[in-house]
Amino acid sequence: MDTSNRLENIANLILEIASLLMMSGANTNRVNLNIDRFANVLKCEAYSFISHKTIILTLTDSETNESYTRVRNIPPHRINFSTISSISKASWNAISEDWSMERIQTELDQIKDQKRYPRIIVLLAVSFAGMGFCNGFGGDYINMIVAFLSTFAGVFIHQFAHTKKYNIYLSVFLGSFIASTLASLGVVYNLGSEPQTALATSVLFLVPGVALINSFTDFLDGNFLIGLVRSTHGFMTVLAIALGLFTAMILFSIKFIG
Amino acid sequence: MINAFHLIEFAIWSGIAAVGFGVLFNIPKKAIVTVFALGFGAGFVKVILMKYDFDIIASSFIAAILVGILSTPLSHKIHQPPVIFSIPAVIPMIPGFFAYKTILSVMKYTFVEQDNANRIGLIESIFSNGFTMIFILIALTIGVSFPLLLLRKSTVKKM
Repeated sequence: MDTSNRLENIANLILEIASLLMMSGANTNRVNLNIDRFANVLKCEAYSFISHKTIILTLTDSETNESYTRVRNIPPHRINFSTISSISKASWNAISEDWSMERIQTELDQIKDQKRYPRIIVLLAVSFAGMGFCNGFGGDYINMIVAFLSTFAGVFIHQFAHTKKYNIYLSVFLGSFIASTLASLGVVYNLGSEPQTALATSVLFLVPGVALINSFTDFLDGNFLIGLVRSTHGFMTVLAIALGLFTAMILFSIKFIG
Repeated sequence: MINAFHLIEFAIWSGIAAVGFGVLFNIPKKAIVTVFALGFGAGFVKVILMKYDFDIIASSFIAAILVGILSTPLSHKIHQPPVIFSIPAVIPMIPGFFAYKTILSVMKYTFVEQDNANRIGLIESIFSNGFTMIFILIALTIGVSFPLLLLRKSTVKKM
């Protein structure tokens, strides 16, 4: 079998792994670590440039010194920590058991087939998280129920917009707008002891925590370019959340309270 | 006694919030208990420190460092990368209420308030809430990622 074909297959495999990691919300150091591990197992050296939507990879065969370069686009990001965990585990096993390319490919196909939590479970869990936030800010149980309901509606709309493939910041705006509109009703009718806590917490499910933390760890590793990209994405998301909150507050003229 | 009850209640809800975000991020089922425990611990440490008059930035920082330090040995124990529990566990400490107050003050300053004395009060509110929010965010990210960076050498060596 000629080498360029072998290198092409390896490059496709490693790019698929790397783009899966980027989509799932791994930081750049982890993506590079996994690229290196799999490349070492397949007796190659890898040099890569990782960006938000594209990965450029050059592979060099350790024996023949031939090299092969390929670029791959990354599909829209969707955080999935199970994928990160499974790929990391696969990379340890690949090193210790010296996996072949076919073995890695079957493992990768299995990882891609993993099911996410059912939609209703996610809805309920995130709404309970909204309740928890509300308790943390000093709301009583009536406020927490308002936070639960408005988070539920917000997550529902956000997921709906996501499945309809709307622009991501537009989806965030819609989720934030719906959630804060519902929570505003609690302020207007003065439900519970601290109705504003419910309004403040109803939009927190949209906070881009992973993007911001990853951007900071990327800065610490010296990956400034992708770190800046991630923090810009985080900033845009925060802007969309704030815009949704603004709109709801103007609708109900909550600006006069507090 | 009521105080102790409130502390536990706060910590339990912070654990629930952590798990809720964990499910949103699709963490492995095996990690759910660990995420709850870390979220609970972080909430507990934060609220205890605040009871002893630490300010909210310092308490969040210490709680985030605790999460960062604990998540590395835990990750070796159940064979998952540490980010999987450390990120969901610090998310309940995100300063949403300060962000909300900042936005509210900005809106009042821009659209409503005409009286100059009150406008100065609003500027004060924008700055104090806004900077508290920014510093808590920085404290959380540094707190959770720095122990990971310090302890990462041991993971790389195993390769």
